[in-house]
Amino acid sequence: MEAQKVDMFIMTNGKFFESHHVMQIRERLIQMDDSKWGMIQTLQFKDPTTSLIVSLLGGSLGIDRFLIGDTGLGVGKLLTCGGLGIWAIIDWFMIMDATREKNLIKLQQVLQ
Amino acid sequence: MPLSRSKLYTILFISCLAGYIWLYIGIKINLTENKSVDICLIKHATNIPCPSCGSTRSVISLAEGRFTDALQINPLGYLIAIIMILTPIWILTDLFTKKETLLKSYQKIETYLRKPQYAIPLIALVIINWIWNITKGL
Repeated sequence: MEAQKVDMFIMTNGKFFESHHVMQIRERLIQMDDSKWGMIQTLQFKDPTTSLIVSLLGGSLGIDRFLIGDTGLGVGKLLTCGGLGIWAIIDWFMIMDATREKNLIKLQQVLQ
Repeated sequence: MPLSRSKLYTILFISCLAGYIWLYIGIKINLTENKSVDICLIKHATNIPCPSCGSTRSVISLAEGRFTDALQINPLGYLIAIIMILTPIWILTDLFTKKETLLKSYQKIETYLRKPQYAIPLIALVIINWIWNITKGL
């Protein structure tokens, strides 16, 4: 695919991925077939900042984990009152990276 | 594949271990000071009990054989007790037989819980339980 298109994608969606994955994603997208471009462009990624806000407000109910699609862990957090409050605090720092990882998995599913 | 086998088993094992330690501390403090233990963030911040407040007391009541008390304090205690008993056994059998039945069932449960026809009634149940918790004043 054209490097210009890929760079545009990286510019608009770079914040949804971890920084050390961005170069890899760029290379994969350049090697990718042009026919998948439409699908890649319409993908909806989850914003890490939104999940951080949800984690701060509803972290002890596990809503942040439900939001990014970790339903099992969400149930675990809900049942244990945010892992006795400790897990909820840990997740304030973990949830942004977890969201970015989920976005990468979503992108990889299309790329394969 | 969102969660690997070893990661899931480590998380579950650590949370079960923490649960048992917490239960032990809870029983000790209750016996010596006869005071309920609560470290719930929501309860400290807003003075309103959260959906799972009282589950420690509920599990302790279950451990002491007071089944109706456990149901009255918080029915979620039953669910937590079942998970706490079942998970270590399941993890050990999986490790010994070198299978991944727990991971498979975890993923199956996750996909079921994502479906609205299962999710909505369960959310409603949790909210009803929460309202009951608030009216009980746990």
